Amino acid sequence: MATIIDVTEDKALEVKDFEFTYAGNEKPSVNKLTMPIAKNSITALIGPSGCGKTTLLRCFNRIHDLYPNNKYSGEILFKGRNILQPKEDLIHLRTQIGMIFQKPTAFPMSIFDNVAYGLRLQGMKNKTELQDRVEKALKDAAIWREVHERLKADANGLSGGQQQRLCIARAIAVEPEVLLFDEPTSALDPISTSGIEELVVELKERVSIIIVTHNMQQAARVSDYTGFMYLGDMIELGRTEDIFVTPSEKLTEEYITGKFG
Amino acid sequence: MSAIIDKIFAYSSKFIAVSILLLVAWIFTVLLQHSLESMATSGFDFVTQTKWAPNLEKFGALPAIYGSVISTFLAMILAVPLAIGVAIYLSELAPAKLKGPVGVSIELLAAIPSVIYGMWGLFYFVPIIRDHVGGIGISMLTAGIVLSIMILPFMAAVTRDAMNTTPDILKESAYALGGTKWDVIKDVIIPYAKAGIIGSFILALGRAIGETMAVTFVMGNVHQISTDLTAPATSIPVTLANEFTEADSGLYYSSLFELSLLLLVISFTIISIAKFYFLRRARIGQ
Amino acid sequence: MTHTSKRILMNKIIMTLSTLSAIIGMGFLFWILGVLVINGVDALSWNIFSQEGAPPGYENSGLKHALIGQLFLIGIATLVGVPLGILAGTYLSEYGQKSALAETIRDISDIMMSAPSIVIGAFVYAIIVAPMGHFSGWAGSIALTIIMLPIILRTTDDMLNLVPSTLREAAFALGAPKYKVIIQVVYRGAKAGILTGVLLGVARVAGETAPLLFTSFNDNFLNTNMNEPMASLTVTMYNYATSPYEDWQKLGWAAAFILSMFILALNVLGRLFLLKKKGK
Repeated sequence: MATIIDVTEDKALEVKDFEFTYAGNEKPSVNKLTMPIAKNSITALIGPSGCGKTTLLRCFNRIHDLYPNNKYSGEILFKGRNILQPKEDLIHLRTQIGMIFQKPTAFPMSIFDNVAYGLRLQGMKNKTELQDRVEKALKDAAIWREVHERLKADANGLSGGQQQRLCIARAIAVEPEVLLFDEPTSALDPISTSGIEELVVELKERVSIIIVTHNMQQAARVSDYTGFMYLGDMIELGRTEDIFVTPSEKLTEEYITGKFG
Repeated sequence: MSAIIDKIFAYSSKFIAVSILLLVAWIFTVLLQHSLESMATSGFDFVTQTKWAPNLEKFGALPAIYGSVISTFLAMILAVPLAIGVAIYLSELAPAKLKGPVGVSIELLAAIPSVIYGMWGLFYFVPIIRDHVGGIGISMLTAGIVLSIMILPFMAAVTRDAMNTTPDILKESAYALGGTKWDVIKDVIIPYAKAGIIGSFILALGRAIGETMAVTFVMGNVHQISTDLTAPATSIPVTLANEFTEADSGLYYSSLFELSLLLLVISFTIISIAKFYFLRRARIGQ
Repeated sequence: MTHTSKRILMNKIIMTLSTLSAIIGMGFLFWILGVLVINGVDALSWNIFSQEGAPPGYENSGLKHALIGQLFLIGIATLVGVPLGILAGTYLSEYGQKSALAETIRDISDIMMSAPSIVIGAFVYAIIVAPMGHFSGWAGSIALTIIMLPIILRTTDDMLNLVPSTLREAAFALGAPKYKVIIQVVYRGAKAGILTGVLLGVARVAGETAPLLFTSFNDNFLNTNMNEPMASLTVTMYNYATSPYEDWQKLGWAAAFILSMFILALNVLGRLFLLKKKGK
């Protein structure tokens, strides 16, 4: 009923018999899911709203734990350990698996302090070291040129697209191994969107990326693998070109040809 | 016919609305008029002299001003950390089951009239201060503490509301970088809600300085400046509450009116700063 | 100790402190409520409602005079303050809107809502008590009206603003004159909100003591003549509580209990109206 291929690359993450249930719900929002996430690749999660793609994404850094009584079962393996075990150090996990949100989330502080935030949390105090790392992150996020003269300015003065790249800089400054993107361009105009997309593709040299998108063209443009979800099930995971050209599942085909969704 | 009623309705509503402004202007004018005699007689001595002796026609309001400032200051020192603590608990810590009931009871407690806080202070708190801290229990310290407890619910409720304006997604971003709850509160929530939080503190300050009943039970209305916090004291509203019906000369009345005017100007200023500088900015910030 | 474990420790400390301050704060507040309920219920008896004040030591003393006086004072303030406040609030929301005049009225009303109420007492003393030569129920009611006005005005303004403008436009499109649109459509849409504002406004002035001290003053006996000094629960409570007589203090607690329950009931009722409206 589901077609999940194995990946040829090393695996950044491995999801095994995974289920997630929101507090107060009987029915899981992500059902018995098994899938690999390839290292240094981009895996896109697509599907109609309410299919569980964002819910699944938010399991990888256990951001669901901010709200009480959500339930996980099964395993998500990362660097040889199951990150769902109760004694998992969430603070450490979140420095290894970063996240970018639907809307830009610049903190109410300067541009520099935004990017330095994660580094400072980890205890970095040396000024030159901080400056170097912030500069590198801003360059990697392709926003250095626009902001290097006003690093002390309030980050909320930047445009939406710039803020989103700032958030990416902030996330990569701590050198995570995986980056989770939750519809990162849904609040942006087309030009900013293509900028972010290019950036995401460049970033995969250094990190493994999972991106949730409601925009199928975006998934086709940027990703190496695409997973199609429907009603909490992973219907099909395959190489992106296969999913969009020769999907194995009828549901996938109907969705990508616009019959529903 | 309709057109006439329409006009009458429009103009009468406008007339009443504008009357509010006139009323406030009238209040200031009347208080000023009645203060003139005192201003002419005492001049600046009114606010610099420490002797308040109606029988000698001496009216130095400094002890009352001092008492207002110190009792309010004490109240703020005690209430601000507690209010922040309660607000953090309510917005970030409390289990979902407690959040609602505790939040609502805090808001309801803010509605309890201040005279009740004063009465509680007199019967239950004065003995504690007397037996465990010193003095006769009726004191500046007692007034400060009772005042702090009275403004606590209001302060905690508005601080919580200000903290709750921080978007979840912003908090999640900070957690996603490996922040602890406290990191997120101090680096994201407090900076984000700063204007609203400070504004509500200043608003509470403005209310505290004009508060009469919570302190008049426990302060003693003694016109003296003492560095001993356990000594009885007075404040502007306490003086007014105790002496207005006793005033027996024109100058005595006039001095009390000047105190009223002073109190009104001080609270108007503080409340305006809170409302227009901080809270308006907070509204724009959202 | 690594930086992160320091942060985690710091987090634990602050969270403990914060929970502690919530416990302390709630502790104090429930202490006050507890004292109020225990003393109040203890002091309640049928006499409270059927008997007037009496000199200390008399067995048959009650609060009938203060209860009825309070009803008169609040009743008149409400009868005058509510319609005036609603009408002024209507001007702000429906006519003045964002004009400089309307904004100024809003700002001044906001300040008046937090201004010291004892000053209002001094003002009313100067314009009414002094010229008339005696304290009176009217003076007390007027002081309370002045305190109530800005509250009613601002809640009315806010609540009318919540009524969607499409509703007004639809009524105008049918050719209704503006006052009819306001009375038949806008008021109806904001009914629950205005009612909540009125309840909260009444609750607020019901607890006022300071502005009554030298306007309506006090009277230990039943008086229904607004031209005379008049008892209120709050001033009675103040006088009885600060007296050295135990039976008077007991009556003071009864007054405190009755008044607080009345005010809490109004607040709860006001909230329920708003909730019901949100539920729709």
